[in-house]
Amino acid sequence: MNGAQHIPEEDLALYAMQALSPEETRAVQAHLDVCPACRQAVSEALGDLALVGASVELQPLPQGARERFMQRIGADSNLATSSDRSTRPAHSEATVTAMPRRSLFGTIGWLAAAAALFFAAWLANQDHNLRQQLNAQRWQVTQLAAKADRAQDLMDALTSRSAQRVTLTEGKQTAKPAGHATYLPSRGALIFTATNMRPLPSNKTYELWLIPANGTGPVPAGLFRPDATGSASVVLPALPQGVPAKAFGITIENAVGSTTPTLPIILSGS
Amino acid sequence: MPENQVNPINPYDRARDAGRSATGKPEEAALLARVIKGDQDAMVAIYDRYAPMIYSVALRVLKDPGEAEDIVQEILVQVWQNPASFVSERGSFGAWLVVVARNRSIDRLRRRKPSESVDEVVLPATTNLANEAERSIMLEKVRQVLVGLPTEQQKSLELAFFEGLTHTEIAAKTGDPLGTVKTRIRMALTSLRKAMQS
Repeated sequence: MNGAQHIPEEDLALYAMQALSPEETRAVQAHLDVCPACRQAVSEALGDLALVGASVELQPLPQGARERFMQRIGADSNLATSSDRSTRPAHSEATVTAMPRRSLFGTIGWLAAAAALFFAAWLANQDHNLRQQLNAQRWQVTQLAAKADRAQDLMDALTSRSAQRVTLTEGKQTAKPAGHATYLPSRGALIFTATNMRPLPSNKTYELWLIPANGTGPVPAGLFRPDATGSASVVLPALPQGVPAKAFGITIENAVGSTTPTLPIILSGS
Repeated sequence: MPENQVNPINPYDRARDAGRSATGKPEEAALLARVIKGDQDAMVAIYDRYAPMIYSVALRVLKDPGEAEDIVQEILVQVWQNPASFVSERGSFGAWLVVVARNRSIDRLRRRKPSESVDEVVLPATTNLANEAERSIMLEKVRQVLVGLPTEQQKSLELAFFEGLTHTEIAAKTGDPLGTVKTRIRMALTSLRKAMQS
């Protein structure tokens, strides 16, 4: 125990991530210097964090990175075998001894140089900040593009004519017409899929209806015609937001659709 | 039953058992031993094995390919210049590289001086990242565990690990109490460890 209380596990994990304040970090470090148990706990937390880090998706290295690395270690090797660094003249001393006595103009020159350096540093800082912002935005765009691709895949899977649709039944039952609606009232988001629907004459269409829970009239929720296998889908039709559904129903309407359902309702569910 | 039919697929546990971690570590030690002698081919072999992982971690944090490549060079040149200190002092070499890649990237992101204190802590041999096959199985499991964490835990861990925010900054950003932030991060890591040990 080292005569001292151990550091809480929460703080050790944060220490391992360098997520403590400088003062807290110093306090933890001082304890770790004398506490093998807490050092072991930090070590284990770092092992966990290594897994978190290593779980990132592997990205290909930039082109030429390997060659640049090889050049670097090659140069490093040459440097190590070249003449002793200590034989080189001390640059700072030479500079100081060679410097002439300062004049007023010389002082102004130095001040101007210092100002220029300061300005250059400020510009570099601005440049760095802008680059970070740009990179962050690029990253966001990449993430959004990935999400958009995913959403598009979802849409394609639900609506593409080439998507395979299979109805699973128990034993060898004959599949009956059926519809499945998934509805999120707060967003007015509806996904509807139908299977084994009977074919319709060309001048007719199926129409999906949302029956509001508040007792108002049925809301048209999309037209659809089944494909050769009897499958169809209605994905995200234009619906008002915040209308909870009491039920959904399907009617057969003229090809252009209708604003009110024509009886009978051939499929319904609540 | 032949040995290859026994179900041994728990790389985390296997890697914990130093006596059985014949998948990567001895080879890694041999490579480092050659690097100590100045063998550039061995260093390039280490580069080929670990540079993509270091780069991916750095890129995830910095979101800048050029800066991420700098991190790769910085860390692996350090290994090249001082390989002896890695042979037995750091525990799991691959895990150490990942942690240091993350720390150096956060230092660069936050424009602070590189902090060595955490880099110098020895990691246990719990994370054998040297063997590609085991690594991919293990990391897939890690990803599943992380995705399955409660959203708040995921978010807190993400902000601390990949964005380098302190617990105070996370609390300010999320509006949660400090203690809650700390607990979420600890619980996330505990869940990960338990899942990997199960």
